[in-house]
Amino acid sequence: MINKELTIINKLGLHDRAAAKLVALASNYQSEIFIEKEGKKVNGKSIMGVMMLAASQHSVVNVAVTGNDEEDAITHIEILFNNCFEEEE
Amino acid sequence: MALIVSGIGVSRGIAIGNVHLLNRGSAPEVFERKLEEHEVASEVERFQGAVAEATNQLRGIRDTIPEDAPKDVASFIDSHILMVKDSMLRKVPIEIIQEQLCNAEWALKQQLDKVVSVFEQMEDAYLRTRINDVEHVINLIQQILKDQQFTVQMKSQPLKGSIIVADDLTPADTVVMQNQNIAGFITEQGGPLSHTAILARSLGIPAVVGIQRARSLLQQEEKIIIDGADGMVLAGIDENTIKKYRQKQREQKDARRKLNSLRNISAKTRDGQRISLQANIELAEDVNALKLSGADGVGLYRTEFLYIDRDVPADEAEQYSAYRKVVRTLKGKPLTIRTLDLGAEKEFDPDYQGPLTQNPALGLRAIRRSLKDTELFIQQLRAILRASAFGPVRILLPMITSYIELVQSLSLLDQAKRELKSEGYDYDPDILVGAMIEVPAAALSATIFAKQLDFFSIGTNDLIQYTLAIDRIDDQVNYLYDPLHPAVLKLIHLTLQAGRKAKIPVAMCGEMAGDPRYTRLLLGMGLREFSAHPSNLLEIKQIINRSKISELESPTKKILSTTVPAKIHPMVDALNE
Repeated sequence: MINKELTIINKLGLHDRAAAKLVALASNYQSEIFIEKEGKKVNGKSIMGVMMLAASQHSVVNVAVTGNDEEDAITHIEILFNNCFEEEE
Repeated sequence: MALIVSGIGVSRGIAIGNVHLLNRGSAPEVFERKLEEHEVASEVERFQGAVAEATNQLRGIRDTIPEDAPKDVASFIDSHILMVKDSMLRKVPIEIIQEQLCNAEWALKQQLDKVVSVFEQMEDAYLRTRINDVEHVINLIQQILKDQQFTVQMKSQPLKGSIIVADDLTPADTVVMQNQNIAGFITEQGGPLSHTAILARSLGIPAVVGIQRARSLLQQEEKIIIDGADGMVLAGIDENTIKKYRQKQREQKDARRKLNSLRNISAKTRDGQRISLQANIELAEDVNALKLSGADGVGLYRTEFLYIDRDVPADEAEQYSAYRKVVRTLKGKPLTIRTLDLGAEKEFDPDYQGPLTQNPALGLRAIRRSLKDTELFIQQLRAILRASAFGPVRILLPMITSYIELVQSLSLLDQAKRELKSEGYDYDPDILVGAMIEVPAAALSATIFAKQLDFFSIGTNDLIQYTLAIDRIDDQVNYLYDPLHPAVLKLIHLTLQAGRKAKIPVAMCGEMAGDPRYTRLLLGMGLREFSAHPSNLLEIKQIINRSKISELESPTKKILSTTVPAKIHPMVDALNE
C-alpha cells in the first residue's frame, strides 16, 4: 500500500468537475483507492464520496492506494492534483 | 407597454426572440407508498430502468456536443454521468426499497435528503452549492420515474430562435437547448458562477439569470429582448426598439468577428513598428486566456494570491510549483513575476495585531514590507529563480521609491542566487530585474534607477493616485482621478525618456495600458510594451494595427506641452479619430 499526502491547490477545490476527473482517472486502475480528509474516508472511485469530502482549496488529503498498479496510480493522481485538475477558470 | 426587468447578465450578447416558458427545474412532488413483499422486485426493476434511462439520456446529450466546443462543456455532463453511475445513487436507494418496503421515488428522496444534509454542513460556500448538481441528477431520475421528463418534451417542441424562461436549468438542458439553436435564456435562480452561467458563456448563448418571478412577469410567445452584457430584459416592445436592437446585435457580432480575426496576428503599427502586447494575470489558470487574446507573454503576474485568504503564506515549494506551471504553459513566451505587493489594501496575516495606520497607501507595503521581512522575500526570490530554469522569467519589484531600496533588493537577490547555487538548484543566473514606476519619486529618479535595472514597468493606477493625491475608492474625490492630468503625463514621459536613454525597455501594466482611449497617445509618447487584462488586448491590438506612429508624434508633443487639463481631453479625442 502507498500512502501520500496531497494538497488541493486549485481555486475551487474538489468540486464536481474536479472530482469527476479524479474518479475517471482512479477508475482506470485495478488498485483500491481511498481518500481521507480529517478522519473521513471515501472511495476514490465514487464521485459522490469525493464530493462529500468537501475538500476546499489548500486542504490536505491522504490518498491510500493498494494493488498491482499502485505506483502508476499514485503518480498519475499526484500529477492531476498538481495540475489543478486541468482547470481553466 | 414596455417593461424593463433587470437581472444578472452572465453571458454577453443580445438576443431577440419569443418567450418559451419552461415549468420545470424543481423536483416533482414525491409521496410515500408502501409496498407489498411481492411488489418489491418489480419496484427495484422500475428504479433500475429509470437509472439506465437517465444514463442513456446524459450520454446521448454528451454525444451531441460538438468537438470544437470548449473542454469544460463536456466535463459538466461527464460529472453528471458519473453521479448516476455512483453506487450512492444507483445502489443505496435499492437497499432502501428492500428494507423499508417503499416506492422508488420515496427511497430516492430519502437518499437525497441524506446527501443534502452532508452538503449543508460544508464550510466552503462553493462546494456547498455543488449540491445543485446532485439535485439535478436526482431530479432527472425522479422525472423519468414519473414519466414527465424534459428532454422528450424539448424535442417535441421547436425551440429554434426562442428565449427560454425557466426557474433553473441544468447543464444538460443547456447543451440540449444550444443544439436546438435557442436565442438566449432567462432563469429565476442562479448567479454569475452557477454552472448554467459558465456554460452559457462557453457556448456563447446570451443569458440573464436571477430574475425572480420571471415566469409570471413574461408571457408565453411574447417577443422580448435580452441584453446579456448588462442583464437587461425588455418586454412589451415596439417595432422601433426591435430594429434598434437588431442593429446593435449586428454591430456587436461584426466587431467581435473583426477582433477575433486578430488573435494570430502580431501587433504592428502601419509604419512597421512591432509592439509587444502582454497580459496581466492573477492566477496560474489565467494563462489559458492568453491563447484567446493572442498575447506575446505575461507582463504582470500578481503573486498576492499566494499570501492572502489563507492561514500561512505559501512556502517556497508551493510558490515554485505555481510559477513553474505558468512558465511551462507559456512555452518560451516571457513571464514577468511581480514580488509581493501587499500591505495597503489587505493585511495577509489574519491575526495581525499591529497598529492600524491612518494612511495605508503610504505605509509599510510592497517592497518596503519585503525588505523588512527579508526571510519571506528571499523565499519568494528563490521560488522565482528556480522557476526561471524552465523558461524566460523577469522579476518586477513593486513601489520602489529610492535607490537604496533597489540596492538592497538586488543584494538579497544575489544572496538567493548564492544559496541556490550551493544547494545545487538550477536557475537563470542572468535573470532580468525591473522596477514598477508607480511613485512620482521613482519617475523622477528613473535615470538613476535605469543604471541598476533591465526594464521598467509603469503602474499607472498608483502613479495617478500618488501624483494627484487622490484615493480612487473615495467617492468624494474620485472625480479628480485623471490619467490625462499634465503632471501624470509628464511623469510617464520622463520614465519613457529615461528608458530610451539607458536603452532598457519600458512597459506599462496599469489600467491606462488596457484602455483603448489612451492607446494612440501612449504610442505617440514612445510606449512599445503594453500589458493589460487579456480581455482588453484584442481591442488595443486593433488600434495599434490601424495607427501610424509618425502621424502621432507631433500631436502628442502638443498634448505634452499643454498645461490646462481641460484642453487635453479634446486633443486626445482628436488623436483617436
